[in-house]
Amino acid sequence: MRDLFTEIWESVRRNKLRTCLTGFAVSWGIFMLIVLLGAGNGLMNAFLRGGEGVATNTMKVYPGRTSKPYDGLKEGRRIELDDKDIELTSGKLFSQYVDDVVATVGTNAQVSYGKKYTSGYIEGNYPSRKDIDRIEVIRGRFLNDKDINESRKVVVLPQNMAENLLGGDGAVATGAQMGSLHLGAEGDGKKVDPGKLVGKYVKIGGLAWKVIGITKSDMSRNDNLFYAPFTTVKTVYNKGKAIDDLAFTFHGLNTEKENEAFEKEYRAAVNLYHRAAPDDERAVWIWNRFKQNLQMNKGTKILSIALWIIGLFTLLGGIVGVSNIMLITVKERTHEFGIRKAIGASPWDITKLIMAESVSITAIFGYVGMFLGMLACQLIDKTVGQSSVSIMDEKVAMLVNPFVGLDVALEATLVLIIAGTIAGFFPARKAAMVRPIEALRAE
Amino acid sequence: MLIELKDVNKTYNNGQPLHVLKGINLSIDSGEFVSIMGASGSGKSTLLNILGILDNYDTGEYHIDGRLIKNLTEKQAADYRNRMIGFIFQSFNLIGFKTAVENVELPLFYQGVNRHKRHELAMQYLDKLGLTDWAHHYPNEMSGGQKQRVAIARALITGPKILLADEPTGALDSKTSEEVMQLLSALNRDEGVTIIVVTHESGVANCTNKIVHIKDGIIGEIQDNRTHSASAFGTATIMK
Repeated sequence: MRDLFTEIWESVRRNKLRTCLTGFAVSWGIFMLIVLLGAGNGLMNAFLRGGEGVATNTMKVYPGRTSKPYDGLKEGRRIELDDKDIELTSGKLFSQYVDDVVATVGTNAQVSYGKKYTSGYIEGNYPSRKDIDRIEVIRGRFLNDKDINESRKVVVLPQNMAENLLGGDGAVATGAQMGSLHLGAEGDGKKVDPGKLVGKYVKIGGLAWKVIGITKSDMSRNDNLFYAPFTTVKTVYNKGKAIDDLAFTFHGLNTEKENEAFEKEYRAAVNLYHRAAPDDERAVWIWNRFKQNLQMNKGTKILSIALWIIGLFTLLGGIVGVSNIMLITVKERTHEFGIRKAIGASPWDITKLIMAESVSITAIFGYVGMFLGMLACQLIDKTVGQSSVSIMDEKVAMLVNPFVGLDVALEATLVLIIAGTIAGFFPARKAAMVRPIEALRAE
Repeated sequence: MLIELKDVNKTYNNGQPLHVLKGINLSIDSGEFVSIMGASGSGKSTLLNILGILDNYDTGEYHIDGRLIKNLTEKQAADYRNRMIGFIFQSFNLIGFKTAVENVELPLFYQGVNRHKRHELAMQYLDKLGLTDWAHHYPNEMSGGQKQRVAIARALITGPKILLADEPTGALDSKTSEEVMQLLSALNRDEGVTIIVVTHESGVANCTNKIVHIKDGIIGEIQDNRTHSASAFGTATIMK
């Protein structure tokens, strides 16, 4: 082994510049591969960050309008969900899959605190919706079972509504009244702590409701949406059987196909109850987070494959370079190989020499490239990774942990060794086939 | 008989077929010091290549020490060359980026002898040829005579059955040529090494004990030259 490396070193030493230039192409290829995969990972991590720690196996059902005439009824009819849909969902028909069914019901309402008031939508809700809807409570608590059972008059307000109600200055309340939302962060000067409202009573619909918690404002949803116990809202606003939407968690549906089959069956059952065509996809809307996640995973997988392909093609340039250089080396050393063969080198001895040189160049420069690539990932993390883009006032990190894992490093090592072998193969075969008498003649 | 050639034929097929060796019959015994003489184009180089298992022949038989050398795989041929034959070339054919001792070691490397042992052995052989001080010099730092002695050390290190020398003095001046030929004679006389020298110089041939004349692919006269009186230019020197 040591002899082999001595030989390689002797060969490389004689062609330093040439070896370095070729090696640079390999380094560059692997560098690009690592950076691309790192950045890709960062992007995907940023994508998926929101989904951490929430129940993913949930479906939501919203009412829609029929798009087909059915059962003597015209199309375009508005569907309203009600108690029966809850019973249907949690009933025997789907008990194999459905776990927990929760519904919401709500109405527009004005909230006032002292002299300040703001309008919003009061949504009667269940504790488990916190996970399903990814509601983030920043102060106090969310609804609990006791609130539901006792129909307590408690509310959970979003941050911006609480800030408006506490009102740094009067302008805020007016703004809210206009219906255009004024954000606390928008720089009215003083910042107020929305947590101060927890434990205080606000007036909604002439009744006093206790504020039990503050949620984080999320611009992706209606920001003037606030929560109260389902039972309370239903009674206070006399909603009867009607509900806004319903959501449920499920289990046992693991593939996209299974999910689609279930959705189809479920849709048919709900549609029939509302006298809509079983295959009418607009009568009720079904939003399946699990399926969405599956699709997202598929998307990230495709992205990752695409990045690998781009990286590998960049690397290919380097490999071709190495192969080229090895061919030149073989040509230059034909005479030497002739001598070696005359004194007893077998074809495999010669092949080994060239292959080992090719793999060594590829591997060493590849590792340099990999190391630099990982440094670059660190650099990206320190610069671009720290910046964020504002999407509807929500700060979204551009890249989260733009690094490659140990698995990628190992895979890249494997790629390098394979690449070096491929690069060395043809030159080595050429060298091995050199006939000693012809080689000795070559000078 | 150490070497036996029976009706060996060789034809090159490069466009027009060229019948180079037309039935060579030759026997060389162990411990002989033979020269093969002939003009260029006589087929002596081809004969040497066949003797050295660097090339194959079409028909006939070639035995070394009773072993038939025919249709060998490259690997076998390499192995036989390594163990049975030592080569000395006109242009020395040392590897330029290796020192003298590394060059001498090389055949042992292909036998898989470990570093330490082969280095020791190589130093012994260099010592024998008076090159101890030059062991760590590169070929381009040495004179022609020194280079050829390194090559001889390399040829001898495996203890081959046959030493094949292809115009061993072709690139040397007359004084060095004489030294090299004396060295070969001494090796043959004192250690009983079988040596075959291919040359077109009668002076060189005269140093050997037997001269095989080859002409147009056929062996002509086989001259007993134990008296070393064959040279047309006198017996005292190698004429250049």
